[in-house]
Amino acid sequence: MQSFFKELYNYRELLKTTVKKEIRGKYKGSFLGILWSFVNPLLMTLIYAIVFPFLLRNTTPHYVTYLIIGILPWNWFTTVISQGTSTFLANAGIIKKVYFPREILPISVVTSGLINFLISCIIIIIFLICSGIGFSINILFLPLILFAQFIISLAIIFVTSSINVYIRDAEYIINFFIQMLFYATPILYSLDMFPNYIQNLLLLNPLVTIINGYRNIFYYQTIPPIKSSLIIIGVGLIALYISYKIFKKLEKGFAEEL
Amino acid sequence: MSKKEKELAITIENVKKSFKLFYDKPSTLKERLVFWNKKKSDEHTVLKNINLEIKKGETVALIGTNGSGKSTLLKMMTKIIYPTKGKIQTYGKLTSLLELGAGFHQDFTGRENIYFNAAIFGLTKKEIDLRLNEIIEFSELGEFIDSPVRTYSSGMYMRLAFSVAINVDADILLIDEILTVGDQHFQDKCFEKLKELKNSNKTIVIVSHSLEAIKILCDRAIWLFNGELKMDGKTEKVIDEYLKVCG
Repeated sequence: MQSFFKELYNYRELLKTTVKKEIRGKYKGSFLGILWSFVNPLLMTLIYAIVFPFLLRNTTPHYVTYLIIGILPWNWFTTVISQGTSTFLANAGIIKKVYFPREILPISVVTSGLINFLISCIIIIIFLICSGIGFSINILFLPLILFAQFIISLAIIFVTSSINVYIRDAEYIINFFIQMLFYATPILYSLDMFPNYIQNLLLLNPLVTIINGYRNIFYYQTIPPIKSSLIIIGVGLIALYISYKIFKKLEKGFAEEL
Repeated sequence: MSKKEKELAITIENVKKSFKLFYDKPSTLKERLVFWNKKKSDEHTVLKNINLEIKKGETVALIGTNGSGKSTLLKMMTKIIYPTKGKIQTYGKLTSLLELGAGFHQDFTGRENIYFNAAIFGLTKKEIDLRLNEIIEFSELGEFIDSPVRTYSSGMYMRLAFSVAINVDADILLIDEILTVGDQHFQDKCFEKLKELKNSNKTIVIVSHSLEAIKILCDRAIWLFNGELKMDGKTEKVIDEYLKVCG
């Protein structure tokens, strides 16, 4: 584990340039450029905001703001998972040719996603102001939730990206799971619509705690549930450790399999 | 261990490497499930039980016919691929000139690519800044350094890539048949640079078929034959023997 941090430190410049390339390069050549990473979730929000008030009998007040606070972090999560899963395939060229710590690639995917999300927080703040909700000092708890989401996303893609090198189906299976997860996470609805036992079941999904954390901070303006957030972080760190080990094992065959 | 680290640059212990040869490689789940009982692959052993120690400051040539496992050995030293059995250890910062220009981005300028390429070799921004002028000068690209790499001729491309790799300031340099970059003038320059690196006590391992160049540059030669160490010793001697058999 110590050598992991040492390697990462030695190659910090590579991490930086990869993150930069990831952010700038993604929408290269498109007219709106980086704006797309905001236009997309905004359009998504618009659709849900039109459709769901018809389906759900009573939505929360300021439903659009409520939605966008859920959708933006979710957008970060899905982009990371789908981009991260295919990151080794996408970079097969350099993996086969030069040595560098391969963990740089998944880490830079999550990091560039984080930066994108932080920028898109401006949208959340605009919505908070326009809807009259405003914001409070509780925003200081944001790093806690961000950290939880960061390590959980990283733990997932360490495994999925490594498996995807050997079995290319992983990408498609994951995409299906993400769609399923979308409905198992209170993005369009709030958790207390359900009876207790379903709530408890849904709480097994770490994203529920994370999304609720964002809601607490931005929408309800309260302290996010510290205890369950810390549990999520603890579980996340263990998962990250295990998935890193799996990645280390599978990494040795990358150059030959790609 | 500490004594070992002081004197040795590369140790190779009982290394065996075999590749799986797939007739029809399954890459999707369906193929894996449907053809699970079909004989999928043969094992092809490229290197059998190699033991080697390369000291700090040595300039070593790996020679042998095509398919003797030279490049595979070199690739394992850089940690791109890993041995099936055995252990390879390297001590010190290592740079490989196996695939020049890996990680070059076509749309970025030469200057930007220097940063990106040097970052892959593990340099920090400050270290690159320090070497930037030297790299540009060595590449002789002049004003082209600020044009996108895709506009370069293949010679210019290789020159830039070589200039970055050679100026990384590594302790160990692994080189695979690249004494043939650019025109005669540039080749001579590379050759001079390698000599200079050799004299500054860097460890260099070269895979090459140009025996004349090797004779001048290397003190030691290792002859690989069918994945085994056939001979290891003074360059002249090994090359003489090699020419008797393969010449």
